[in-house]
Parts: sequence; structure tokens; C-alpha cells
Amino acid sequence: MASDELTPDDSDLLEEFAALLADPSLWAEPGPEVEDAVVSAISAERATMQRSPSATVARPRRWWTIAAATAVGAAAAAAITIVVTRDTPAKVDQTVAMAGTDLAPGVTGEARLTAVSSGVKIQLTLPGLPRRDGGEFYQVWLKNCDGTQLVPAGSFHELDDAIAWAGVSPVDFPLLTVTKEAVAAPKDPAQGSSGEVVAKGAIGPCP
Amino acid sequence: MGLADAALSTAFAEGDEAAVRAVYRQFAGLVMAVAQRVLGDKGLAEEAVQQTFLQAWRNASTFEPGREFAPWLVTIARRVAIDIQRRESRRAATALDDADPTDAALVTLPPSAEQAWEAGQVRLAIDALPPDEREVVRLQHLSGCTHQQIADQLGVALGTVKSRSFRAHKTLASRLAHLREVPT
Repeated sequence: MASDELTPDDSDLLEEFAALLADPSLWAEPGPEVEDAVVSAISAERATMQRSPSATVARPRRWWTIAAATAVGAAAAAAITIVVTRDTPAKVDQTVAMAGTDLAPGVTGEARLTAVSSGVKIQLTLPGLPRRDGGEFYQVWLKNCDGTQLVPAGSFHELDDAIAWAGVSPVDFPLLTVTKEAVAAPKDPAQGSSGEVVAKGAIGPCP
Repeated sequence: MGLADAALSTAFAEGDEAAVRAVYRQFAGLVMAVAQRVLGDKGLAEEAVQQTFLQAWRNASTFEPGREFAPWLVTIARRVAIDIQRRESRRAATALDDADPTDAALVTLPPSAEQAWEAGQVRLAIDALPPDEREVVRLQHLSGCTHQQIADQLGVALGTVKSRSFRAHKTLASRLAHLREVPT
């Protein structure tokens, strides 16, 4: 046998993996930014744990520890305020600045986020938006960074003092938006977002 | 290849940045391959990579020293990717209501734990190759190039490509021998 030929056993073995070797997923590489994202996420969560004495034995795994830590890292760049309640170090509230878009110029307010077991409580104080009735309303959404996924968080006549709820993590859906909507049939495409965003805020950073 | 270095494992568990980067660089390809096989989407797979390393770090204190790190990461990566896949499926529920129920895309199952592990082993074997040999294997299998085409593309002699290919495949066969199917 020539020295540069595989043995039949080796050839047979590699043949078993031929399909895998030709599969693009096997060769996939994460983008260069992912390494820094991993390091940042771990560093941020570690920092949060070190600030929280109650978390030194059992590491907290709730979403808000990540959200808070990530937000801390981006605090200089984002208009986000993290408030750690001194009496209960494990509890974190987050206040997000909200601003009107071209559809509601001059409107400003805030959204205060609190994590509880049933989901994320979003207390909105967004005065200045005209009341909507008669089948028209405002819809609050959480959105992912690339805008491909939306999670509804409640519908409202007005948002001067409203409480919305979401069952997803703001880490995955860090954009908070409010749209103008109208009643639609169950399978009507209008059940989705109208795209008419009247106000928005950033809970966390997007790449 | 395994994370046998207890000091590195401990440093990773402590969240030491250099250790986190070292572990990431050693196993990111493995985790990405597993996630990509489940999700079929680079962006979602990258999300799974990030979550996998974060979860691994959170649970690193429970990792037994001396164990292989790779199987543990593969298990986490597959589970994380399946969770993301389920989340994405729920997002697409409205569209799926209108889809053809015979559409093969609707009945695609994620790889089993064994399949994920096997893919991970192949990826680890590939990543352990010298870069020049790895590139020859990639061009040969992924791009379907002949030895001559590879030689032209890399600007090296045909004999060099053949030598690299032989060495690489010999190494792969050696490293994957433990996965050989046992006749029943």
C-alpha cells in the first residue's frame, strides 16, 4: 500500500462521517463579537453577584440579574438608571426613559420595570398621548434588537399611568415600544403591530 | 484538548476574563456547530453560543474536576438551542396555522443527544488539526474541491495538498475511531 493512502478501515470510518464533514453547520463559526459578548455577560453577572451578599451561596439565575448587570456595563452609553434597593439587595428595579417619535413629538415619560415570578411588570408614565377609544388603542410591545420579534405587553386607552406585563426577558427583548392600533379580526394581519410607533425606550443595549 | 487544566477550570468558574476567553476560544466552534445544527440560523446559533457559555459559567462550580469539558458543553448547547428553537416556533405560530401540514419543515426534529455529541466530536477533531490541514479538509468536503482545485486555490503544489489531506484524514480517522459503529 502506498504511504499516502488511508487504510480501508480508515476510509470506511471517514465515509461514515462524510455527510457531517460536508454539512455547513459543522464548520460554522460564531462572529468575532460573540466572544466579547460572552465575556461581558459573565463579567456583568459576576459583578452583580459581588454586590449582592445574598447571592454568594446560590448564584442568582433570574433574568433581571443579567439585565441589571448588562445595563450597568452600558450605563454610560444608555439612558438607563439602575436602582438597587438597599433593604432588599436581590430586588432590582429599572427605569427606562421613554420618548415620543415623530408621531408624538414632545412626549416624554418613563417605564419602570420590576421582575416578579409571573413576568415583567412595566409601569408606564407617559403623559401627553391623546386618549384612544372606539376600537382604537395603544399597544405596548417588547421587541428584540433586530426588530424581527415582537411580544405584546398590553393594550390601553391612554398611558398616563398604566401597567403592562410581559412574559419574556428584557435581555432578549430590550426595546420597549408603543404603537397605535385598531381592533382587528383574529387572523387579520392587523393583529400584528401597525408599525405606527408613538413612543419608545431602550431597556438594554443592542449591538 | 480537554479542559484537564484544573487551574483553568477553576479560573473559569471564578469568572476570570483570561480563563473565560481561553475556554471560549477552545470550545466556541464546538458549541456553534451543535447550535447551528439545531437552529439552522447563524444569528440564533450565536445567541445559543452566548447563553451556553453563560450557563456553563453559572454551573461551573458543580463541574467535577478531571471530567471532560466538551461533552458537558455539548449537552448545555443542545438544550439551549432547543429552547431557542421552541421559542422561535411559538413566534411563528400564526404563520404555521396557514402552512401546509405536509411541509417537511414542520416535522424537522432537532438532533438527538447522540447526534449532537457525534457532530461535536467531529468538530473537535477538525479544530484540533493544524490550520493548513484543516483548510484542505474544509475545501475538500465542504466546498467539494478536488486536490488540484485546492492546490490552485491555495497556491501550493498538488503534492503538498495530497500530503496535507492524507495527514489530516489519518488524524481524523484516529480521533474518530471511538465513534465507529459496532456491528450488531
